[in-house]
Amino acid sequence: MPNKKSLHIEASGQLCIYCGACVGICPLNCIYLDETRITFDEKICTRCEICVRACPVGAIEIG
Amino acid sequence: MVADLKTDVLVIGAGPAGSMTAKWAAKNGAKVLLIEKRQEIGSPVRCGEGMSKEWLGEVGIKPGKWINVEVEGARIFSPREQVFEINEKHAGNEVGYVVERDGFDKQLAIDAANEGVEVVLKTAAVEVLKEKGKVVGAKVKQFGEKFDVRAAVTIGADGFESQVGRWAGLPTNLALRDMDTCLQYRMTNVDCDTRYCDFYLGKVAPGGYVWVFPKDDGLANVGIGVQVSQVKTTAEARKYLDAWIDKHPGYAKGKKIDMVGGGVSISAPMKQTVTDGFMLVGDAARMIDPLTGGGIANGCIAGKICGEVAAKAAQTGDSSAAFLQAYEKGWRARLEEKLYRNWLAKEKLCTISDETFDKIVDALQGVRLQKLSVHNILKAVHEKYPEVTKEFEAFL
Repeated sequence: MPNKKSLHIEASGQLCIYCGACVGICPLNCIYLDETRITFDEKICTRCEICVRACPVGAIEIG
Repeated sequence: MVADLKTDVLVIGAGPAGSMTAKWAAKNGAKVLLIEKRQEIGSPVRCGEGMSKEWLGEVGIKPGKWINVEVEGARIFSPREQVFEINEKHAGNEVGYVVERDGFDKQLAIDAANEGVEVVLKTAAVEVLKEKGKVVGAKVKQFGEKFDVRAAVTIGADGFESQVGRWAGLPTNLALRDMDTCLQYRMTNVDCDTRYCDFYLGKVAPGGYVWVFPKDDGLANVGIGVQVSQVKTTAEARKYLDAWIDKHPGYAKGKKIDMVGGGVSISAPMKQTVTDGFMLVGDAARMIDPLTGGGIANGCIAGKICGEVAAKAAQTGDSSAAFLQAYEKGWRARLEEKLYRNWLAKEKLCTISDETFDKIVDALQGVRLQKLSVHNILKAVHEKYPEVTKEFEAFL
C-alpha cells in the first residue's frame, strides 16, 4: 500500500470555480486560493478528503 | 523593493465587513489601510444576493443602484410544495432586497475611501507579523513583491475561507456539520415572482435549502446549500440543484448565464474573535446566520463596532486583547442571542422529516399569525397536529 500522503491532490482547472469552499473547511489550513489558482501544500495535506466533500462541483481529485 | 508601511489600522479583505470596519475606523480618526487580494472589489460574486434591509440605517448604508428588486415577502415551500408566506408585516426583518452584490461591495469600498481609507488592490496577506505573541501587522504580497505592513490593530475580514484568523491563533476551524456547500445559477427565462424570495425545504437540499431570488422579470438566482456532513459523493451540491431544476418546468426551461459556488458556515457563534492586536469580523468570524446562511447584515453590523473599537485602540495606544474586548462584547450584545437561537432552530430543522415539514406548513395554511415566532408557529401547528409539536417541546 502506498502511503496516503504520497498521493497527488489537485483541483481540476476544468471544473474548479475558485469559490474557496475547500479553503474554509480544510482542517490544516493548507489550501491556498489565488484569483484563478488553487494550490495545496502537499507536505502538510494528509489527504483527509474533507475538501473533496465540501467542493460543490467535484473539482478536487486525489490519486 | 517596496518600502514597508506603517498604519493605525490594517484591514485584510474588502468585502462588506472589511469595508465597513475600515470606514468606521477612519470616521473615528484612524489612519486605515484596506487591502484586497483581488483586482476588482466585489467580483467575482459569491453570494445568493438576497438580504434583509432594516439594519442598513444603523450602519450608515444608503439604498443605492445596487438594489435589483425590493421584495414583499418570503415563501417557504414544504416538500409537498404547499406554501407558507412570510410577508413584511409580520417579518419585517427577514425580507428585503435582492441586490447586485458586486455593486454593493463597490459602494461600501467607495464609502470607506471617501472617509479617508487607503484602498489597495491586488494585495494579499501571506502571514501575520507577531512580536511576543502580539499581532503587529501582516506580511503582504503585491505584484509578486512581499513587504511588511505594521499596524496598531490588524483586522481579519477575509471571508469564509479565512486564513488570517488561524494565522493569528484564533480557531476558526469548522466541522463538516458546520458548513453548507453551495452552488447557484443565475437563470434567465424562468417563471420567478419578483414579489417573493422563495425557499424550498426538505430532502431536496439536506441540511440546507433551495433558493430562488428574483433579480428581474424572468431572471433569478437559483441556488442550493447542502450540509457537508450529509454529502456522500462528489459534486453533490450540483447534483441536487440540477435535480431540483429538472423537476420544476418553470426553471428547467431557463438558461444558465452564470455560476457561483461557495461555502457557508452554519455553526454556533465562535467563542473568541479577538487576540492581542487582532480582531476577526464577518464571515471570517463565523458570523453568518446559521439558519438563513446570510452574512452581509451581521458582517456590517459587527464591522461598525469593530472599526470604532479599532480607532479607539489606535488612539489610546492600547490594542491588547483586554482593550479589544469592547468589540467582543459589543458585537455579542448586538448579534449573539439571535445567532445562537437560529443555530438551535437550524439544528432542529436538520432532523425533521419531510412528512413533519409537510404537516407544519399544512397546519399554517389560512392561519393569520400576529407575529412570526417559533412559539406562534408551534401553537398553530399544535391545534392541527398535536403529535408533531411533541418533538418541539423544548422550544415552547
